[in-house]
Amino acid sequence: MSLAAEAFVSQIAAAEPWPENATLYQPLREDQILLSDCASSLAVQAYLRMCNLPVHVSCRSNAEYMSPSGKVPFVHVGNQVVSELGPIVQFTKAKGHSLSDGLDDVQRAEMKAYMELVNNMLLTAEISRPRYSSPYSWPLNQILAYQKQWEVRRKMNAIGWAGKSLEQVYEDVSQCCQALSQRLGTQPYFFNKQPTELDALVFGHLFTILTTRLTSDELGEKIKSYSNLLAFCRRIEQSYFEDSQAGSSSRGYSKGPSLF
Amino acid sequence: MHQIVCTEGLTEMAYAKFAGAPLKVHKITNPWRSPTGTLPALKTTEESTRSLSKPSNIIIHLRKQKYNADYDLSAKEGADTLAFVSLLEEKLLPALIYTQWVDSKNYVDVTRRWYAENIPFPLNFLLPNRIHNQQLERLRLVRGDSTLEPGEQLEKELYQDALECMTLLSQRLGSHKFFFGDSPSSLDAYVFGHLAPLLKVKLPNGKLQQHLNSLDNLRHYCTNILILYFPSEGGEPPIHKVSVHSDSSDFDSEPHKRRKQILSVLFAMGSMLGYAILMGIVSIQHVRPQAALVGPRHIEEGGEEEEEEEE
Repeated sequence: MSLAAEAFVSQIAAAEPWPENATLYQPLREDQILLSDCASSLAVQAYLRMCNLPVHVSCRSNAEYMSPSGKVPFVHVGNQVVSELGPIVQFTKAKGHSLSDGLDDVQRAEMKAYMELVNNMLLTAEISRPRYSSPYSWPLNQILAYQKQWEVRRKMNAIGWAGKSLEQVYEDVSQCCQALSQRLGTQPYFFNKQPTELDALVFGHLFTILTTRLTSDELGEKIKSYSNLLAFCRRIEQSYFEDSQAGSSSRGYSKGPSLF
Repeated sequence: MHQIVCTEGLTEMAYAKFAGAPLKVHKITNPWRSPTGTLPALKTTEESTRSLSKPSNIIIHLRKQKYNADYDLSAKEGADTLAFVSLLEEKLLPALIYTQWVDSKNYVDVTRRWYAENIPFPLNFLLPNRIHNQQLERLRLVRGDSTLEPGEQLEKELYQDALECMTLLSQRLGSHKFFFGDSPSSLDAYVFGHLAPLLKVKLPNGKLQQHLNSLDNLRHYCTNILILYFPSEGGEPPIHKVSVHSDSSDFDSEPHKRRKQILSVLFAMGSMLGYAILMGIVSIQHVRPQAALVGPRHIEEGGEEEEEEEE
């Protein structure tokens, strides 16, 4: 979003409270969604739950095209549409809901830095594991799949990841997980008692890698070797996603498989 | 004369100084002469090591050689290092590259001019433009917008991220001497490598510099490192695009360049002369002394009145 548009949206956002019928759009879970998009979507869902903001999840095959920035997931709140975790966090902040207000300057700096680390390492590792098929019929599904892969490859080339072998990708993921594990230590959340957007982001990515069936389980195994990260994911799943498992579907979350 | 400073080269040099590794620094201006084809590059004496390029690779190599500036860091500090380096690369580096290579005024007035003056022919025509296009293309890909043009909008977005990053770094640094305690670590090398170019290079469009200057603790931090670890460069701007060797082999480019220049000029002259003789434009027979006198002179020098009139 451009800066002027952002400021405008913030102003309008501040005016109204969070409505009951907010919706989150993402691509179809089974055939279409990329690993990275799934992780981003889960991160947003986790964040909104942590803020206690109700949201209904809707899976659409053209979610990418509906989104204002072309990236998924996006939320439709009132008469505004906001995409990606960063802008959504700011949007909810404008409405008066924030998880990171209690942090001091140093902690906020660390939080932002760790979020970049996750984006840098895990997101790009997920991109390098293609999983894009399509709900459309032949030949559109082939064409779209190739197009998507080509786009992703060009982007990886641009950021210098094209030359990386699979081993190097796994090594990077391992380093990232080690850093996260060391930072988390024995605390329940990254900044002790209260979860923040960093917790939501880390949960989104780790959970997706752990529960998605890929051609090889190595990424998942790497994460499982850090027991505190595993416990962290379970804790968040239990605290924020368990309640709707017991019957009521008004909140229709789309997590899919669970860690248990 | 302005000198453009390369972030990666600075990062590696700073790390080497912090870790106490003995490195010999060679200033060369022609990237084709470097061991890996790009600058900066590290060449070692070991058979098993190829020449290395990226800062992270070079730092890893130095660590293996037991030159480790991060020895005293705790596990959490090591994790923080990784996180802040990611922050630097994602938020600050794109803006740095933009301000040097893509921003129209800066690129034309400062960057391209420096390259044109300092890189040997013919690279000085090709290289800056190629880098400019590459960086613009890269920005387009990463942002997912293939019609992106350098302009106010893009600049605002990139700079907003960069300014926020610098503010965050300043908050994290606080009033400490280095990021982790009293001795510098690899994170300090990275931060220094990214911020020092901003301090030293005067750019027409200097919004990033203004913001950095307003963050007192960061500015003192950079000047401190410069004074402590780069005392010889303290007065003048730091060097650009260095190639770093850890053996003591001599790598002087001057005689080779001169020799090649002379050879190429001789070859060109020889072929022109040969062509002229073959085509009969020039004849070297003494039968026609007038033509012989005029001909060779016509090729060797171009400024005499007789030739001009004869033309």
